[in-house]
Amino acid sequence: MLKLFTDSDTDITPEIAGRYGYGIISMPYSIDGKEVFPYEDFEVFDAHAFYDVLRGGVLPKTAGISVEKYISYFEPEFAAGNDIMYIHFSRAMSGTFEAMDKAVSDLRQKYPDRKFYEIDTKGISILSLNILMAAGELYKAGKTAEEVMTRVETEVNKYTVYFFADDLKFFKASGRVSALAGTMGTLLGVRPIIYVGEDGKMTSIGKEKGRAKAVDRLITYARELGDDVAGHKILIAHADNMFLADMLREGLVKEFGENLDIEIIDVNPTIGSHCGPDAAGISFHSIHR
Amino acid sequence: MNEVIDGGLFSNMINAGAANLHANRELVNDLNVFPIPDGDTGDNMYMTMDSGAGELSGSDEPGIGEAASRAAHGMLLGARGNSGVILSRIFAGIAEGLEGVNTADVATLSKAFKKGVEEAYKAVSVPVEGTILTVYREATEYADRQVSPETTLLDYFDNLVDELRRSLDRTPELLDVLKEAGVVDSGGAGFVYIAEGMRKVLTGETVESSSSHAASVKKTDLSLFTENSELEFGYCTEVLLRLQCSKTDVDAFDMPALETWLNDEGDSVVAFKDGSIIKIHVHTRTPGHVLDYCQQYGEFLTVKIENMTLQHNEHISKDSAEWVKKPHKKYGIVAVAAGDGIKEMFSSLGCDEVVDGGQSMNPSAEDFVRAFKNINADTIFVFPNNGNIILTVNQAASIYKDAEIRVIPCKTIGEGYAAVSMFDENAQDADFIENELKEIVSGVVTGIVSRASRDARRDGLNVVSGDYIGFSGDTVYIDSPDRLTAAAELCDRLDAGSCDVVLIISGKDVPGEEAERMSATLRQKYKRTEFIVIDGRQPIYDYIIVFE
Repeated sequence: MLKLFTDSDTDITPEIAGRYGYGIISMPYSIDGKEVFPYEDFEVFDAHAFYDVLRGGVLPKTAGISVEKYISYFEPEFAAGNDIMYIHFSRAMSGTFEAMDKAVSDLRQKYPDRKFYEIDTKGISILSLNILMAAGELYKAGKTAEEVMTRVETEVNKYTVYFFADDLKFFKASGRVSALAGTMGTLLGVRPIIYVGEDGKMTSIGKEKGRAKAVDRLITYARELGDDVAGHKILIAHADNMFLADMLREGLVKEFGENLDIEIIDVNPTIGSHCGPDAAGISFHSIHR
Repeated sequence: MNEVIDGGLFSNMINAGAANLHANRELVNDLNVFPIPDGDTGDNMYMTMDSGAGELSGSDEPGIGEAASRAAHGMLLGARGNSGVILSRIFAGIAEGLEGVNTADVATLSKAFKKGVEEAYKAVSVPVEGTILTVYREATEYADRQVSPETTLLDYFDNLVDELRRSLDRTPELLDVLKEAGVVDSGGAGFVYIAEGMRKVLTGETVESSSSHAASVKKTDLSLFTENSELEFGYCTEVLLRLQCSKTDVDAFDMPALETWLNDEGDSVVAFKDGSIIKIHVHTRTPGHVLDYCQQYGEFLTVKIENMTLQHNEHISKDSAEWVKKPHKKYGIVAVAAGDGIKEMFSSLGCDEVVDGGQSMNPSAEDFVRAFKNINADTIFVFPNNGNIILTVNQAASIYKDAEIRVIPCKTIGEGYAAVSMFDENAQDADFIENELKEIVSGVVTGIVSRASRDARRDGLNVVSGDYIGFSGDTVYIDSPDRLTAAAELCDRLDAGSCDVVLIISGKDVPGEEAERMSATLRQKYKRTEFIVIDGRQPIYDYIIVFE
């Protein structure tokens, strides 16, 4: 048997995980020193409550997980004779994968016959989710682990994500976006446009004033970079701002027609700790990142 | 030539290295822009060297291996700051390379110096090139390649110092923040002074002994971090932790896990283990977390926590030495504004200089020239934000020769905000930027609410002295005895509902909650428009409302 894993930084929910049989590795955030593991410390993510706390001025912290924690996810599968495929968020964004590597190398010694397949989505949030859902579909259709690996690895750079943030203080605190709109300390209606490149890192590629122009810019990327957008799943993510999600959906429908496979997803709290409330974005199938 | 270096000579060289760095530490401080521009690299490296030198007894030293080991141990205990901790690791590697050696020839010394590279890179979680790491690595590699049986100690140090300098000059090519600031790496520069000091011992030049310098204790001006200061940079946090057998397995302690945790907690992480002692250097906003975490495994030998924002403020408040160039940039921005809140707004949007002025307080050409001089840029864009000021700016531009001055003729604060907020320094060239900005300015409407100074008949309205009037350009749209009514009505008349963004800037006489209350009502009414409120605290105008 093959057991699929992903982590909560990919915006996966227990409901989506259930469709494909993914196990969720929970990536924690902490507020006032209290660490919270998504979908372990709560069952349903209350996005509105969480982002309202951030709107109140709280800056959560995020952290990697320990070698032991990785082992606690993986070992039971190996012990039961299963192989593992872990499709995870970008290695380039976190030091947590050093702990994962250590866990995997320890387990490989203990279970030399078991296989561990790893796919780096070089992304985060809905970009990773889009890739892992495509992988889940392949696996459900009966492909072997090797076939899934080969297919998905060529597809990793054919999904892309573009999003904008509403408040820079969260990204500034985390320092995880390069070229962030020059030296601006404040946004005042200006939204930096950010994408995740083939290096698996977030980069700011300009800015737009106001929601309408920011939404238009994202739709323009979908039009110009899109590769059979309507034939693939489109994901819209929002950090507790359904108004923006609806604007994005309307824009997509206007551009690509009514018959789209769109899912609207809450930005998970750990990534939301970096992008802040009222960020929104889209992920689609593209000719390149 | 069968030349060797013994413990005594090595000891003198460490002392001379420390003394030479001490003599030049202010120069090193002033280069400090990475990772935090807090101007203490020279001091930190000197204190690190000095605590190494303090372990040595000069010419009575036994073998070089013993001397190097003692110096390294002293540096471990005394290491301060990012570059200081890296420096201590360099000498730990050198000591490792000289272990058990009584007298070292050039080849042995060179190999030991290269060992320092390994140790230094190992200690840094995320090695950044263009820093002391690169400078030290390139120079020791170069000097090692030149070693032949004929090489003297002095040849070796000549080669080392030459390549240190060349590598140091290349650091801005590797690290953008240095290039932008027009400086070379401070930690690398510190090491150049150390190596020069060591070399001087071989030529017989005297270097003032470091023992005559008390470790410089800086007096910190605490008033530079006030009740209202923002913690921009966090705390430089350094601990020396003695692992405790009662708390953890001292020998099998999981350093990678500690480093992973530290990297998530902060940055500029340097951590290493020496026996049961762990040295940690991290920049974090929450040093308490670091202490709590560490204490799970041991007890502290020393703890140092410094507010880097305070250090940064202190560094910039010093009238910096003439020879330190102002950070060079391609584009600079000057805006004119009155009111603390509006000035802050322009600064936070990226203006380099905000010249005080506005309606009925026009700055002079000299004020602008002074602002231009404070900016080291190829091209300076100026936003006058008032029709009466444009001529003065043009005049200042015509007499200023050290930069190309481009004036974006915005006539209102609103036009200035619209343009500056969309300024894109990554755009292809200055012409392109100028055209873009002019186009943005043409799409902005600025409405003003202010008190009428006399009775008048304007635009079909009876304006009553003391009433609030709402106007845009030359047209008066509303007269009301109530300020809020005038402002809300002006928003309706100027079609707030068709705008993407409306910025409401309240004046110094407007109570804080009034603008918030108005915008809440407007948000309900015009759902697609984004309303942003700023406490501008400007004189004369009760409200400046910007429609885009």
